[in-house]
Amino acid sequence: MLDLKDLENRTIYIVRETYAEFKKPAVLWSVGKDSTTMLWLCRKAFFGKIPFPVIHIDTGYKFKQMYEFRDKIAREWGLDLLVARNEEALKAGLNPEDGKLDCCTRLKTEALKMFLEKHGFDALILAIRRDEHGIRAKERYFSPRDEDFKWDYKDQPLEMWDQFQGLIGEGSHMRIHPILHWRELDVWEYVKMEGIPINPMYLARNGKRYRSLGCEPCTSPIESNASNIDEIVEELRTTKVAERSGRAQDKERAFTMQKLRALGYM
Amino acid sequence: MNVSVVIVGHIDHGKSTLIGRLLYDSEVLPEEKLAEIQKVIEEYKKRFEFAYFLDSYEEELKEERTIDTTRVLFKGKNYYTIVDVPGHREFIKNMLSGASHAQVGILVVSAPNGVEEQTRRHTFLLHMLGIKQIVAAINKMDLMDYEENAFQKVKEETSQLASSLGYADVKFIPISALEGDNVYKPSGRMEWYQGPTLIQVLDEIELEEVSEKPLRFVVQDTYPVDSEKVTVGRVESGTLRKGDELLFQPSGVRTKAEKIKVSPGEVDEARLGDSIGIVLDSEVGRGNVAGHLVNAPTPTESFLGEVVLLEGRLRQGDTVELKCGTRRTRCLVQGIRERISSETGEVMGKNAEQIGQNEAATIVFETEPLVVEKFSDIPELGRFVLVREGRNVGAGVVLETRV
Repeated sequence: MLDLKDLENRTIYIVRETYAEFKKPAVLWSVGKDSTTMLWLCRKAFFGKIPFPVIHIDTGYKFKQMYEFRDKIAREWGLDLLVARNEEALKAGLNPEDGKLDCCTRLKTEALKMFLEKHGFDALILAIRRDEHGIRAKERYFSPRDEDFKWDYKDQPLEMWDQFQGLIGEGSHMRIHPILHWRELDVWEYVKMEGIPINPMYLARNGKRYRSLGCEPCTSPIESNASNIDEIVEELRTTKVAERSGRAQDKERAFTMQKLRALGYM
Repeated sequence: MNVSVVIVGHIDHGKSTLIGRLLYDSEVLPEEKLAEIQKVIEEYKKRFEFAYFLDSYEEELKEERTIDTTRVLFKGKNYYTIVDVPGHREFIKNMLSGASHAQVGILVVSAPNGVEEQTRRHTFLLHMLGIKQIVAAINKMDLMDYEENAFQKVKEETSQLASSLGYADVKFIPISALEGDNVYKPSGRMEWYQGPTLIQVLDEIELEEVSEKPLRFVVQDTYPVDSEKVTVGRVESGTLRKGDELLFQPSGVRTKAEKIKVSPGEVDEARLGDSIGIVLDSEVGRGNVAGHLVNAPTPTESFLGEVVLLEGRLRQGDTVELKCGTRRTRCLVQGIRERISSETGEVMGKNAEQIGQNEAATIVFETEPLVVEKFSDIPELGRFVLVREGRNVGAGVVLETRV
């Protein structure tokens, strides 16, 4: 096991660097296990109360239990919760059958883009991890996006010894990835150690559970009997099934994830 | 134990293939990753390559070269964070980003090609980064009919390179990443070699114990929490105890650590790597470094650093921004003592006027009061980056804190 305390220390350091270096940061919360853990770590970094807004990008296609969980945690943790939605696209009836690349881009990336334009956040904390996907394994802790949200993945900053490069130019924002170095198993071990509340959809019922949560039409459960966190940890120690195997947008075609992320997807 | 390993070497000597082979033979890969690669192979009409496990950009697969660093986590007897870096000259910036946290380097050298430009440069950079242990994997033995002579020849060359940079006790392993010899499984095709496989060498690595060093705490920020002001930051070396008298530099504030706060609660002591808050009886700002009154941090206004420059030129008389710990300061390139080839480590000129991209140098910097430590004493405060127009353009280590 990696030392959970080491992982936590480094993450808290990065969160505090973000708060010191940027004028208007915010943290993205998908209501899943990683970003809920991220919020927990932000609360620890600031001794209880997160001093910046928490943004939920609502595609309108999330599971009912996700909305319930979101509202409950927001209340209990006193979050400054802001919800970003691409109302226009939703009114026009956009859905995954129009093509997953397009649906994800418009309901997530564009919704966020419009929201950032309105509120002017210059740094967004995201709970992505290197071990989730080959493309995310290439990321930096501080990863700049230009005004069009593009990720210039072929010219990433020099990032050594926790000396993170700041923003250059106007109109761009920084993506901050404080749990980039955590693995899926670490997150669950940490959830267990800290007693972090998680959405019950992660726990098995009738032989199935969700391993990664997204939009209802594009997320499917895995076969599993892991009905509590100890059992999930045990399952992850032995599984050969990829974490995002239940996430349709990753695998529609080769390199879909790279294309999504180059356009500013999380 | 968790060990961070970086794989370095010249382009096409087989770095990505080696890690792909390691992952494949250890059977840790998700089935889906194989399916994904299958899809790529069909879409792009390519043949299967082990490197495809690591290279994820479309461009990387099409061009068959690694562009940016990838990290994979792998479990043997230890947990490994394995960093694959590009072997091409134009991506040294990415190589350094990947290598800066590594504890062990694996130098991959192709048996048919021997030591080449990036073999030398990467070894020099590992040495500069203070990575003390390297292992040499002599790859592509399959192309040399697994002959001992071919191995010995490249071993000799590589050994000379390593010892010229102060690496003694380097282990050499003849491997074929493509065929799987001596990577995860022992080879039956090189009876003349009785040594360990690569994974066995990794599993036997012992990391240096961190000896007790003077306390250094870097300040990130101050937060109001309830009715208290909490100074937050990280312990970069040594141990901080509740009640300790502290000296903050360069501000010169002397004060007592009333409480050490974590969330939730308080602790009596904090160690290397701990992100904590301290309740002090006076206020200190970001960029300060605290220590005890004995072995206190001492600000300097002139120090000697060894630098590698990754973008542009650096001239004597230039002013650049320097970041060390959480401190940013303007500093002057007072003199370039030696201009050094980052390929060979050789001195190319003394008292040089300037250095160019990808060159190294020993430089005397003049700075506003700044706390730095000798890299060999307290590495966490003995390394810095150079910033120009907002870009991190170079990296360096401190050789002498006072000139």
